[in-house]
Order: sequence, then structure tokens, then C-alpha cells
Amino acid sequence: MSSPTPTTTCLPASGTNVNKAHLPENALVLAPTRQLQSLLTIIRDEKTQRTSDRIIRLLVEEGLNHLPVVPKKVITPVGQEYEGVSFQGRICGVSIMRAGEAMEAGLRDCCRSVRIGKILIQRDEETFQPKLFYAKLPDDISQRFVLLLDPMLATGGSCLKAIEVLIDHGVQEEKILFLNLIASPEGIKNVCTRFPKLRLITAWVDEGLDSNSYIVPGLGDFGDR
Amino acid sequence: MARHQHDPDHLHPRPQLQSWISAPGSKNEVMVSHGRAPWYGPDGKNIEAYVVGIAGGSASGKTSVARAILSALNYIPTVLILSQDSFYNAHTDEEIELAFNNDLDLDHPDAIDSSLFAKCLMDLKQGKATEIPTYSFVHHQRMPEKKYIYGASVIIVEGIMALQSPELRDLYDLKVFVNCDSDLMLARRIKRDVQERGRDVDGILDQYLRFVKSSYDNFVQPSSRYADIIVPGSSNQLAIELLVTHVKRQLDTRSLRFRKMLAQMGDDEAEVQSSKGEEHSDKQVVLLEQTNQLLGLMTILRDRTTSRGDFIFYADRLSTIVVEKALTLIPCQPKTVKTPLGVDYKGTGGDDQLVGVSILRSGGPFSHGLRRVIRDIPIGGMLIQSDPKTGEPLLLKSDLPHSIKSTETSGEVKVLLLDSQMGTGAAAMMAIRVLLDHGVLESNIIFLTYLIAKQAIHSVLRAFPSIHIVTAAIDPGLDEMHIPYNRSTLVLGESAGEADFAVRLIDGDLTTGGLEGEREKVDDQREGVQSEKELGADRFKVPIKREMEELKFSRARERRGDDGAFGEKRAWVISPGMGHIGDRYYM
Repeated sequence: MSSPTPTTTCLPASGTNVNKAHLPENALVLAPTRQLQSLLTIIRDEKTQRTSDRIIRLLVEEGLNHLPVVPKKVITPVGQEYEGVSFQGRICGVSIMRAGEAMEAGLRDCCRSVRIGKILIQRDEETFQPKLFYAKLPDDISQRFVLLLDPMLATGGSCLKAIEVLIDHGVQEEKILFLNLIASPEGIKNVCTRFPKLRLITAWVDEGLDSNSYIVPGLGDFGDR
Repeated sequence: MARHQHDPDHLHPRPQLQSWISAPGSKNEVMVSHGRAPWYGPDGKNIEAYVVGIAGGSASGKTSVARAILSALNYIPTVLILSQDSFYNAHTDEEIELAFNNDLDLDHPDAIDSSLFAKCLMDLKQGKATEIPTYSFVHHQRMPEKKYIYGASVIIVEGIMALQSPELRDLYDLKVFVNCDSDLMLARRIKRDVQERGRDVDGILDQYLRFVKSSYDNFVQPSSRYADIIVPGSSNQLAIELLVTHVKRQLDTRSLRFRKMLAQMGDDEAEVQSSKGEEHSDKQVVLLEQTNQLLGLMTILRDRTTSRGDFIFYADRLSTIVVEKALTLIPCQPKTVKTPLGVDYKGTGGDDQLVGVSILRSGGPFSHGLRRVIRDIPIGGMLIQSDPKTGEPLLLKSDLPHSIKSTETSGEVKVLLLDSQMGTGAAAMMAIRVLLDHGVLESNIIFLTYLIAKQAIHSVLRAFPSIHIVTAAIDPGLDEMHIPYNRSTLVLGESAGEADFAVRLIDGDLTTGGLEGEREKVDDQREGVQSEKELGADRFKVPIKREMEELKFSRARERRGDDGAFGEKRAWVISPGMGHIGDRYYM
């Protein structure tokens, strides 16, 4: 019951999320449960205004599973010993504005007083090149695990830029967990091959990108909604 | 005429009853004195309620016999009086007109919907919830609203035609006929109708001669031959005493002591299972994946030094994870939506027949987690506490969502049953039994919990093999403990799931006597930030063995009769467990 060794294995492959067929090893996709599919159906529906807290919470829980733990013995109120584990390593969140901010509440649901940094990157509408506008990160971020939050991964341009910013601030690549709601296969490939030690966790892999570099079928502009 | 049977003396319940569930002024009463002990065997099957049928002429004294039985049975938690009045047929417009002219014969057996009567009584006898019709003597018509009735161990059916229908007679365990002299009945009737209903004697006599008398001679009186006992309608003290003695003896043979049986049976089963090496491989039990995070969460929750704030936060977080896992067991329908990009997405849609029911108090933390996941889910509650003397669960109150209460929808409903832990499974079984009694399908019940003792899985699944259980952890141990309590501060029952965890009571020093005071001290220590470590350290070092020794000591002292204010209660403790979750979450 207690196996304190950290697991970094991929979740069981699914039969239904066909697009996730060949992904880099450091890209993890949530188990395509019926509930997850229903949730995605809700948030994809153009009529939906509802938040996507539940999926985000699932992503955060899965992301947190990749943090290291150490064995710890405690005494239960019954007076019995229990061999458990204790969380090791401090974490912080970094959201890519503005869409990533929508994931902060879900993160705080799981990690109460977690520090959250912010990065503003916008895509230049002419060149499609991402541009860093603003970054406010915790001072000791270099000693922390970073949960990078961005709900949509299309080409991965802005995400790559954000990861560069983190690494410039001294964060180790293997300490970055990128949490993402819906990804395109292209985006995953771009991010995971460029940063092979980082771990990417997504809820769903979609078909691909349209000519405007939007994810299809996707769910539109996450931040706007 | 139609009101002639509406005896006002039905309206006064026994004063010693603490509470009773019913609309006041109704002839059908469910009376609850102190919670309902298990009405089913360890196999989860209902034991039939004891049904007494009382017939007799109008004003013969049926009601006083019924009430005498009732007051003699005041130790029975739930006694129901079911009156024939509710089951008058629905009338056509012409019949209603007759009724308003006092020309409708309600004293004929055909005036009663005996098949509906028998169906409702059958449901109740089998322990199921039922909905009985309401009949209005003002409108002379059956009303559209129905009355929900659930949970009676003893049912008393009374009415002039109670012994008339063979369908009904088959359902009675005891058939009583109240035999009274016709003159006496008429005299009582005239007195009552004149004094209480402002009728004139001519009218009463007219009605009596036209309907009541012939009905009595042709139907009521002859039905006395079906009776087991014929009780006189006046000066019947002795007859009632004999009757009551008989009923009591019948009920005693049915009483149940089975919580202990459950734990033992579970033990045997567990041994058999583990020797075969197929420990809880049962696919009805879904154990959360034991990831690092989950183990870390469980470590925090199990640690007795965890502060209350942390405990609440992590309990909420864990319940959210358990709820998410449980929801993956529920099937979804295919659904296609258009995304904002104008592309069709073939997805799935949720199921809206989902309700939550939490076993109070310890299921409380879970309903918070459930609301986090599904904001608008209807959540009902059942208050199940354990009897401090026997450790058996008692159902004190059930407050269920409408979709469960209505027999039309309960077959479709999917229920998430919430309790923080399952020790012997006794409270869980009671809660499941309540749901089944309402017509919820066994396969539509998912039990959600943080922690479950291995034994409980076997007891619960043996009785209810089709339910699902979703749990964050399965613990190996379940020990019986005798926990002393202070009678003067005893509030009835710890919650039954949690009687298993009343161990905090023994944290204190038993020789000081004031257990309640000790508990407060413990609380202070927990909340006092800087003193917690130092004070706590010594206390927590006390090995469980010594605590048990102290318990024995306290019991010995009790036997010597030194301190009459102390009793002991039995509880089942999961080990290593996580303590008294309700207390840790709320207190």
C-alpha cells in the first residue's frame, strides 16, 4: 500500500483519445474517463459559460503526483503507527496570462496557500511570434517545483517562451510541470522535444490546428470565455 | 354522514413520545420515540413488520384498543396506525353529489379501495416506503396529494372493514375484533355526534338505520369470525393486557443483535479470502490509485498531531478526489456539441438523475466535496447513531431528496452515499437498506468513503452484492473496544459509523472522572499552537496497551459500583484508522 518511490510513468493509454497515439514520453494525458469526456463536452459547447474547475483540479492532482515524497511514520488517533509519506519539495504556480489565470482557483483548491507567479506573453498577430510583456515570479522560484498553467496548447509558441523565462530565473527544467487542458499534437511535440526533461500533463489531445493556428475542435478563446 | 368515522380522539398522540413524523390531525401516524434499530438481518433482507388488524363497529372502541397497544409498546421505536379512512375510493361527480346529501353509502365494503389498501400495507409490512392516498371528508373525495410513509416496525390497521377483505387479512399477524353491544354503540354515537359535530338526533338515527346498522349486521359483525381475539368494547382492561402481552412476546422474538455478528462474520470471511490470496479483488470495490499524493494526504489525515485547519482542508481535498473517481463509474450518454470554432464535437453528456445522501454527521465532510464537484446536486441526509448500550445502529431521521421519496422516480435515481469511514459496515448497511426500501436499485448505489475496514467490505457486499464502494484506503484492523462514558453527559449515541472512533474519549486520564472536561482539554491542546508539541508529546507516547489497561481498570471500578455515573459503550475501532473524523472535522 505504501510505495514511496516517485512514479513518473505514463497513464494507461486510452482507446478513445485517438490523437494521443504517438507522443513524446514526457507528455502525460489524463485517463479518458466518461466523466472527463462529459466535462470536455460541456466546456467545448459554445453555449457554455461554466468554468472548467473540475478538469483543472484533476490536472493539478495528477501534476502533484509527480512531486517527490519521503517516507514518514505517524501515530493515528487510535494510537497505531501508520507508515505514510510526506511531501517533499516546495512548489509554486505560474500562470500564463490571461487564460492561465482561470486555472489558479483550481490550483488553490488543492494547494491552499501556494504562491502564484504570472507571465504575460502575447502572440504577435502579424508574425505569430510570442512576445514577453511581463513576468512577476516568486523570488525563490529557483528552489521550487513550478506548476506552469496554460489551458490551451496550440503551436506551443507562448508556452516555449514562458518556459525559457522560467529557466532564465534559475528553475531546473525537470522541476517544471506544465498543466494544460487541451493540446494539439503539434504543440506537444514542440514543447516536449525542445524541453525533454519537463513534464507536460494534459487532459485531452485534439485533432490539430486550423490555418489560424487555433486548436480544432478546441473550445475557442479560453480567456475570453 | 360521511364524517361519522372521523373520530377526533385519534388526534392525540401519546404524550411521552419525543417526536413523531406526521401531519398533525391525521389518523395515520408514524411515531418515533428514540430511533429505529435494524429492521433487517445480517443478510440485508428486511424482517417483516408486525401487523395488527383491528375491526369493530363504528364507536365500538377500536381506537382505544389501538391506543392501549400503542402505549404498551412505547419501547418500540416506530409504530404506525393506519386507518381505513385514507383508502376510500375516488368518487365520480354523481357520487360526490350523493355524498353531500348524505346519501352515499360509505359503510359498504365496496367503498374502500381494498387492493390499494393491501398494496400499501404489503409495502409497509415488507419495510418499504409507500405513498398512501389522502381522503377529504370536506370534499368527499380522494385528494391528489399522497402521503409518504416509511419505517414502521409495528403497524396497527384499524377500520370497520379491517377484517373484511381477504387480501388484507392475509397480511395481519394478529386479527382483533372489538365486539360491542349495538345499543351501546348507538348511544356512544349519538352522544359523540351531537356533542362534537353538532348534529341532530333525527339525522343521526336516519343515517344509522339506513347505512350503519345494515352494514354492521351484514359485513362488520360477520367478519368477527376471522378474528384471533375478540375484545369487548367496554370494561376490557384485562383483555387488552392479555393482548399486549402476546404482542410483546412476538416482538421480542424478532429483536436483533447483529452488529457484533457482522464484525465476526466479516472476520471469518476475511480469513477465508486472504488464504485464497484474493483479497478485495472484488470489482465492486474501487480503491483509489495509491499515488504519492494520495498517500501523502492520507498520512496527514491519519496523523493525530495534524491541526484542525489542515485536517479540514485535506479532508475536503480527498473527498473531491473520491467523488471524481466515483463519477467515473456512472455511464454517460453520447452528445454532440458545436465548439466556438463551428466544429462538431462528439462528446458525452452527464446524467442528471444523480443525488447525494450523506450519513450524518460523519458524511458531512463529503457533502462539501460533492458540492465542489457538482454544485447543484440534491443532497439528502440520514441521521444514524449507535445505541450506546448495544452499539447497534439506530435510524433517527431520514431526510431524502424528492426523487428518492417518490416511487415513480426512485428506480432511475443514482445515489452517491457518503460516509467518512466504514468500520463494521452496520451504519452503511442501514443506509443502503433505507435506499432499497424506497425503491432505489442496488446497482445504482455508490458508497463513497475515505477509509474502510476490510471486514466491512465482506459484510456489506454479502448483503448487497451489487453496490459499488469507492474508498481511498482499506485498513486491515477492526477491534472491539469498551469505552466508558459519563452517563450524566451522554447525548444519545455517537454517530454509528463513528461510534467506531470514539477513541478520543480514552485519550484522557480516566482516573479524574470528568471525561467531558478531558475532551475539552484535548481540544485546547490541539488548538494551542505553541504548547501542542510539548504537551502532546507525552500523551501521544502512551501505548495503546496501557490505554486498554486503564479501560479495564475503569470497568472493574464500575463493577464494584464505586462510580455510578459511568457506563461503558462498545465501539468498533478501525486501525490504524484516522480517528474520529466527525470530531476532527467539526469540533
